[in-house]
This record gives sequence, structure tokens and C-alpha cells, in this order.
Amino acid sequence: MAIETLGYRGWSGALRWPWLACWPIVRTGLWLVLRRKVFWLLLALGLFNFLLHFAIIYTKATISVENPRAGRFLDNFRVTGTGEAYLDFMFAQGTVTMLLLAFAGSILVGGDYQQGGLVFYLSRRIDRRHYVLGKLLAIAAIVLMITTAPALALFLEYGMLSSSLDYFLENPRILLGIVGYGLLMAAVLSLLLGAIASWVHRAVPLVMIWAGIFVLLPVLGENLRHVRDNRLWRLLSLWRDLRMLGKSFFGSLRVERDEPELAYWAAWIVPAVCLVCLLLLVRRVRAVEVVK
Amino acid sequence: MGLLALEQVTHFYGQLCALRNVSVEAEPGAIGLVGQNGAGKSTMLKILLGLVRPTQGRGEVLGHDIRRSGLELRGRVGYMPEAEVLLPGLRGVEFVALAGELSGMPRRHALRRAHEVLSYLGLEEARYRQHEEYSVGMKQRAKLAAALVHDPELLLLDEPTAGLDPEGREAMLELLGVLARKHGKSLILSTHLLSDVDRVCESVVIVHRGEIVSVGRIEDLRRHYRGRYRLRWQGAADEFLHDLEAEGVQVQRDGRPDEALAIVPEGWSTRTFFALADNRKIVLCGLEPEHENLEAVYHRVIGSSIRDGH
Repeated sequence: MAIETLGYRGWSGALRWPWLACWPIVRTGLWLVLRRKVFWLLLALGLFNFLLHFAIIYTKATISVENPRAGRFLDNFRVTGTGEAYLDFMFAQGTVTMLLLAFAGSILVGGDYQQGGLVFYLSRRIDRRHYVLGKLLAIAAIVLMITTAPALALFLEYGMLSSSLDYFLENPRILLGIVGYGLLMAAVLSLLLGAIASWVHRAVPLVMIWAGIFVLLPVLGENLRHVRDNRLWRLLSLWRDLRMLGKSFFGSLRVERDEPELAYWAAWIVPAVCLVCLLLLVRRVRAVEVVK
Repeated sequence: MGLLALEQVTHFYGQLCALRNVSVEAEPGAIGLVGQNGAGKSTMLKILLGLVRPTQGRGEVLGHDIRRSGLELRGRVGYMPEAEVLLPGLRGVEFVALAGELSGMPRRHALRRAHEVLSYLGLEEARYRQHEEYSVGMKQRAKLAAALVHDPELLLLDEPTAGLDPEGREAMLELLGVLARKHGKSLILSTHLLSDVDRVCESVVIVHRGEIVSVGRIEDLRRHYRGRYRLRWQGAADEFLHDLEAEGVQVQRDGRPDEALAIVPEGWSTRTFFALADNRKIVLCGLEPEHENLEAVYHRVIGSSIRDGH
């Protein structure tokens, strides 16, 4: 059909606040990730641990009513409803979270550099701040989906299976801990992934770097700790550093002998990593590739 | 209100000078931005869009300062980049609606408008196909739809016909012409295909090595070519041509036996052609002022710029 026969209609309306454009960026980012089958597979893996905990809590509650001694035996599985149990659960979700993020990075961020998405975004009525925030929130949403949301579901289940609402009333710090630790992980991991994926766009090198940070560095740290007899080398494990900081959100939990000193250093390392990542990310988000 | 005004704009990428002392003003309309690859066209577009802050100089587009009002500016300008834009997994209509939302439109409006614009651009049937399944021509149209979705006053088009086959190119140029002429959109068409500019635009800005070497209405630039006539005749014309040269006319034969280009001296009257032809019993069957096409204008302007040492 000739275009002259089709009418072009104008549009008039008030344009919205630019920060609201972060939501379409998050929504589109999540959609691009969730449409891949491999992510559903990894998500299912992540949910497997959750379902196991869910079943144990249910079974324990049922058995405790019938036989309190058997209930105490089930406490050996660390599904005790204490802050430590949720901390351990969220820490254990780390493997799947790492795998999921390693593959998500190239789609959420790297693809924008490879396929012209960055210029597409930045040529609209947003700037670098909105783009970066939108992308970070998309990554954070994936982290929260795997770690915090299941932990909150377990917390709810544990409380609901109690005979009263006392569990919720007596443990507000646990709720704060779950949310705080989850947000800490989401913030740090989204910055780290965003920064790496903006410089390394392709999936395979990205996965290798990611594995280097979360697999190789902890192993290296452990070995160096033995060789040098200096426990500070354990700080090379960022995931462990996050756990130490996350623990503070839960209040008074059992503390290992050398933990306070490590936590002190972790409190410096994690913000430093975040700052470097933020600088790298902002520096990389430009609408122009310089061609010499 | 003028469309744009740049004043002494210079931009460096590190040591590389992409634009040097660019000053230009333009009124609303269709403007061609032509130059070789690497001349600085894309940088100029990105400066006009407020995406790149110039190293020096100042400027306004639609009354908005390009340094300070990038967001407001991009709310009134649509940009179609040269490079492929692909968000794999999105349908055509979702891609265009996302562009609308990022431009500040409410989601419901953006979706409705995406349907309208895609239909207008002839992609009605392909609205629900995955964006990555589109042909090159469809992708170009989808990019144009994304630029048009928020109904901007000005469209910045970076090589809109790149990669298109002849039919696709023809359709794209027709579309741009209609948008400019019938719907009052101002266009800045950046390309190295001069025929595209000749077809769509009224004005042209010629960029060479980061500097503007010529700017103005295409018709005005062509007027520099006054005093050139294409002659056609019947019969043996050697003596006639000799007479013309004796009168100070430069005669250029281009291999055709019955045709020549005549470059006449100042104050020449075209009646003299007929008088001289009549003397030599020649039938002068064609006398047309020579129109320089944009390509010739471009080469002349670039040539003189190089001779001037730019």
C-alpha cells in the first residue's frame, strides 16, 4: 500500500519523568533473560534447594507436633528458623546465582554493546544514570529472585507453621537480615556484573572471568592462607566477604574466632570493589565508539 | 524559531579531532549532511542530539542548549542510528513501544502509537514477528518507527538507506520525502549517498575532515553553475563550434557527435547561439541550462576545499 494513502497521526501528551524509564529497562532486561531455556533450568536448580528446605520445614513442623524428640533431630539439618539458617540458605544459593548471572551478563549488558542497544537506549529521553540504574536493577532482580525471595518464603512458612504469630513478633531482626543480606548481594553483584559485562561483552570470556572471581580466587585464597599462614587471604573470596557483612544484618549470630577481623577488612574491600565497578561501568557507558 | 544553531563547535576524541570550529544555522526543513566516511557526520548528529558534549563551542537545537538540555532535546528529536539495533527476543511492536516508553510516553500510549507507526511504515503484518527475523529493509523501517514513535519535530537520520536494495531504498526515500513535505517533519539526513540528499532535501551541509566546507540551499549551490548550456544540433557543426570559441565560449565535447557543453562568458545572451547557428545553417534543436547535480557540487566544493589547504 502506498504510504500516501495511510494517514500519519501525530501524538500529543505529557512526557513522563525520565527516572520512570528505568522500569521498561528492567522489564525488558528480565524478559530477554527469562525467555532463554537455560535460565529456567538454572532457576529450577536454585528452586530445588528451596523446595528441599520448604519440605523439611513442613515435615519438621508436622513431626514436632507428633514427636518433639524427632523434631529436635531434624534441627541437625539447620532448618531451625534462626537467622543462621537463613544466612546459610542464602549463602548456599550462591552457586546457582553465580551461574545464572554469568550467562545473564552477556544478554543484559554485553548485548547492548554488540548489537547497538546502547545507542538505542541513550538516544531516548534518558541519560547514562537512568540506563545504568535500569540495568543494575534488572541484575539485582535476578539475584533477589534466587536468594531473597525464597528465603522470605521460608521465613513465612516457618512462622505460619508455628502455633502462633510469636515467631514473626519475636524475630523481626531475621526479616531485616534476610532483606539486608539480599540487598547487599544484589547491589554488589549487579555492580560487579554490570562492570565486567560492559567491558567483556561475549558470554564465554565473561563466564571465564566470573568463574575466576568466584571459583579461582577463593581457592587461591585458601591455598595462600595455608602457605603463608595468614587468614586474611580468605578475603579473596568475595562471596564469603558478602556473607560476613550480611551476617551483621541478622544481629547476634555465632561468631568464629577470626571473624571480626576479617569482617573489618571485608567492610573495606566490598565498598572498594563497588566503587571501582561503578567507575568502570560509568566510564564505559557512552553513546560513541571512537574510531581511529 | 530556527531549527539549529551551532557556534564554533569543536570536538576531540582524545587526540583525534572529529569536528573543528563548526558554525552553522538552519531553518526547519529537510537538510542533508554529506561527507566522506569519517568526516564527522555521525559525531555532529550525536552532538545535535545532546549525546556527545562538544569539547568547545555552543549550540541550540529547537531552542534547547545541546550542553545542558539533552533530555528535553531528545524528547523532541527522533534519532535513527546507522548501526543495527537489535534487542533479540522483542517483537517489532514491543521494540517500538520500548522506544516510546524510553522517550517518556506512558506504556499504554507507547503501545498504541507503536501499532500506528508500524502500520504507517508498512510493517503492519510484521508487527508481531521477532525483531531479529526482520530483513534489512524491515529493520531500517523499524528503526525509523522507533525514531518516530513519540512524534518528534526533528528526525536525525544516520545513513537511513544503508544496506537497502534498490526497491527498499526507493521506498525509504519516498517515505522520508512524505514525512518532510506532507507532515512537516524536519529532517537531518546524514549520508554519503548524494543522490539520497538530492532526492529528499532542500538544503545541504557538506562536511570534510571535521569542517563545514559548504552550507546552503541545494538550488543556490547549483546556481554557481550558471553560464553552462548543453547544446544539441542537427548537421555538421564544426564551423559553428569554431565561431562559438571565437566569441569566447568554451566548448566541451563529451564524445557525442551532436551535443556539446558550452561555458559562456559574462554578459552572454542565448540569442547569440541561434544567430551563430543560423549563420552556419545549423538547426539548433536543444539549448538547456546545465544543471549541476549534487554530486558535482560536492566534488567541486571538496576540491576547492582541498586546494585551499583544509
